[in-house]
Amino acid sequence: MSEILLDVQDLTHCFRLGRNRVLRAVDGISFQLRKGEIFGLVGESGSGKSTAAKCIMNILHPTAGKIRYLGINTCDPRQFRSHKKFLQISRQIIFQDSTSSLNPRMTVADIITEPLMIHHIRPPRGSLRAEAAYQLKCVGMDPGYLDKHPAELSGGQRQRVAIARSLGMGPELLVADEPIASLDVSIQAQMINLFKHLQQEHGFTFLFIAHDLAVVRYLCDRVGVMFQGKLVETGPVGEVFSHPLHPYTQALLSAIPIPDPRRERKRIPQFFDSTAFDREGQLREVSPGHMVFQKGDKL
Amino acid sequence: MPALLEIKDLFVSFHTFSGEVEAVRGVSLSLRPGEVLAIVGESGCGKSVLCRSVMKLLPQNGWIKGGTILADGIDITNYTQRDMERLRGRLFSMVFQDPLTALNPTMTVGAQIAEAVQIHQPGLKKAAVRCRALELMDLVDIAGGEERYGRYPHDFSGGMRQRAVMAAALASNPKILFADEPTTALDVTIQAQILDLLRDIQVKMGTATVLVTHDLGVVARAADRVAVMYAGKIVETGTVEDIFYAPQHPYTWGLLRALPSRAVVGEPLYTIPGMPPTLINPPKGDAFACRNEYALAIDYQEPPPMFQISETHFAATWLLDKRAPKIMPPLGGSYHE
Amino acid sequence: MRQKNPFLYYGRKLLGFAVSVFLLSLVVFCTARLAPGDPLVSYYGDRAEKMTPQEREQAEARLGLDEPIHVQYVRWLENAACGNFGISYKYKTDVISVIAGRLPNTLILGGTAFLLIFAGALALGALCAWNEENFLDRTVCKVGTIVSCIPEFWLSLVLILVFAVQLRWLPSSGAYTIGGGGLADRAVHLILPLTVTAAGHLWYYAYMIRNKLLEEIRSDYVLLAKAKGLSRRAVLFQHCLRGVLPTYLSLMAISVPHILGGTYIVETVFSYPGIGTLSYESARYQDYNLLMLLCLISGSVVILCNILAQIISEWIDPRMRSGEPPEVTKHG
Repeated sequence: MSEILLDVQDLTHCFRLGRNRVLRAVDGISFQLRKGEIFGLVGESGSGKSTAAKCIMNILHPTAGKIRYLGINTCDPRQFRSHKKFLQISRQIIFQDSTSSLNPRMTVADIITEPLMIHHIRPPRGSLRAEAAYQLKCVGMDPGYLDKHPAELSGGQRQRVAIARSLGMGPELLVADEPIASLDVSIQAQMINLFKHLQQEHGFTFLFIAHDLAVVRYLCDRVGVMFQGKLVETGPVGEVFSHPLHPYTQALLSAIPIPDPRRERKRIPQFFDSTAFDREGQLREVSPGHMVFQKGDKL
Repeated sequence: MPALLEIKDLFVSFHTFSGEVEAVRGVSLSLRPGEVLAIVGESGCGKSVLCRSVMKLLPQNGWIKGGTILADGIDITNYTQRDMERLRGRLFSMVFQDPLTALNPTMTVGAQIAEAVQIHQPGLKKAAVRCRALELMDLVDIAGGEERYGRYPHDFSGGMRQRAVMAAALASNPKILFADEPTTALDVTIQAQILDLLRDIQVKMGTATVLVTHDLGVVARAADRVAVMYAGKIVETGTVEDIFYAPQHPYTWGLLRALPSRAVVGEPLYTIPGMPPTLINPPKGDAFACRNEYALAIDYQEPPPMFQISETHFAATWLLDKRAPKIMPPLGGSYHE
Repeated sequence: MRQKNPFLYYGRKLLGFAVSVFLLSLVVFCTARLAPGDPLVSYYGDRAEKMTPQEREQAEARLGLDEPIHVQYVRWLENAACGNFGISYKYKTDVISVIAGRLPNTLILGGTAFLLIFAGALALGALCAWNEENFLDRTVCKVGTIVSCIPEFWLSLVLILVFAVQLRWLPSSGAYTIGGGGLADRAVHLILPLTVTAAGHLWYYAYMIRNKLLEEIRSDYVLLAKAKGLSRRAVLFQHCLRGVLPTYLSLMAISVPHILGGTYIVETVFSYPGIGTLSYESARYQDYNLLMLLCLISGSVVILCNILAQIISEWIDPRMRSGEPPEVTKHG
């Protein structure tokens, strides 16, 4: 089994809503990412997936818990500062909405090479422009797009540029926050193949946040299911999808639409009563690598 | 049975800075009473524009360039906004993608439903309006209507908001309901509920529904008939069975094959190469030709006409011409996981 | 978010108000004293220039101007706390009575101007939004922009030249004819100052309304309202205007100081006997006590209006005053 790249322990992040109310967006979640794998984090909107990703990327400061990236505790300000450059280079994030996350006034070439300039990295392929062209090719785009502005690109192309930008730094970990949710079916498939290619050929590690379970099943190696800030189930994709144990996972899996009218119409989605969700409990390993959130011994 | 909505050779264009965008290019379709017709396609293929042009809710820079729209037997193509105001709500109504922005944040949900009731029955007493609004909330399964009546949209969850939008849209018993991506902004667990509600209402009220979506799972669950749109044209139309079990158009093949839920883990996912064309000066021949691995020489010259395959099934591809080479369709028949 | 305890909520605002007014008084006091000029001139007139140094010292001691600034300030503060704001050097009476004589004039001018701008901007903005990109809208937009760019003092002078000097239709200055002074007479005197004040501000707010309305018209809920069968007018007035009003109300509350500032200039040009001319004079003649009270009054109005704007916007937005947390937060 390969080395552990990212170790998240009891991560908690609370948002203050006014004076007396606190929203526990992420509530004591723990998981590990191994080198070279794609870990999918799924859940409905508001389940805390994006907040967890932002904590991992040091965009938000967690209320409690530890995040170790290759042994560095990134939540500790002292350790973070002493490894700041390394951490910023080797972890990259891709956002869902590339329309708003790319500066509309910069050209594609500038967008891709900006991080290199900020960190004073000598472009490995000679000039900055050559580096930008190489990264564009990596994500399957023609170097002819180098001088275009984001507004001239389609949604899929913009997302590719966002990926090219993050690849330029030679990162180890890519956090992708719903990177394909806003794309069309035919473009989605292209992006999924691109992610798979980047993992298999270049060995990148992905934290892939999604709400489309069909994509997760196809793309990810391991999956974590989040519900109301808690990680309720985690394990290898095949195992979780074939033997879901937590009732919420079961409900979520039963909600995947099947593009086949006869079977889709017979599908009865399971209902998960969120009021019955007991927040007390912890993750227990039920089979190798497969953990379920439970209280005591019962589910 | 006479068609409730008959669109013939409709052209819709938009003025933009870069030129005229031909969003809808010669669409003909008909909607029968009480059926659910799904219009599927990628963003920018003109599916939403089609619905909005029927309701005359196009933005200011859009206009109907040609064709006719017959609604309930009346030619409404040249209707003014004022004429349309009498038809909207009563003959047809609409549900939108994002239920949060579709509701006025400064009005209570009850008031917004009540308002819809009142428009076409101005003489109704206040108590009666309220009563009807509560009835509508009950129809769309909003539990605790009395209590929720005075609440604002932000107090509602996504699914509840969409139900409220539906209640407002259905207030005057419209014959046609346009549902523009009604489940896209909702969580997976809620999507099926909303679709089932749509079907339920269609059965209870006999409303014919035009369901606009990009999601084939949604189509499979809720539609009776399907029209696949690409680059402003309908490329294939037929019953759900026709489209899912015996598709004929290469684009439909591509859409179905590119679904991750159909993919086998470990094998690369099928992709349609390239991107949809821009509709400023659209290509001369078949707009799909340059992405189509089965394209024939004629596809680049001349757009294909609609070929009839069965009584219900039509497709616009030259592959169905008698002279075309016979090819083995990459999929067809029921699919097994 | 609204606090649970209204006393705490308003108490906090009140405290903020008190602190701001205190700081304002301190700043005005110091800058006025440090500014060059001779306050004795305003009290003794030309005599002040012929005084011997001994006489000057005596005079300063009598007015309490010989002590260091902080002592003077503390004494002023003590007196002010008892409601005694001192006497005006120029008018040689209690400053309160000087201001009381002028305040109604400014209130009439400012109040009418405010109402005119408030209603006019709403109507003009709605008219433009209704006729979006039509000939009417475009013309109004262009004319409005040009008019609002004209400096107030220049416009005043032009209007005086045309209507008072050339045509002799309207009086050029004052609030009423000396000796006369009926309601009609006052109204006639108000026309020119009002026109100038309104012209300077009206379009700014009307344009804001127009753009806000157009923004609302483009939002999704308008589509649903139309799909329900609402007429265009109903959509504009029942839905869009409703969405715009909260912003507009708080905007108008903030606008009070601007309009007030505008009337000060206009008053000076038209020699309109209001607070504006008085402030100008008091600053010019180093009439410290009068200046202090005038600044405090104007400042309090500004601060109060800002607080009011804040309260209005917090109160009017339903998201700010819902009783129960929305469903999302129940997760926590």
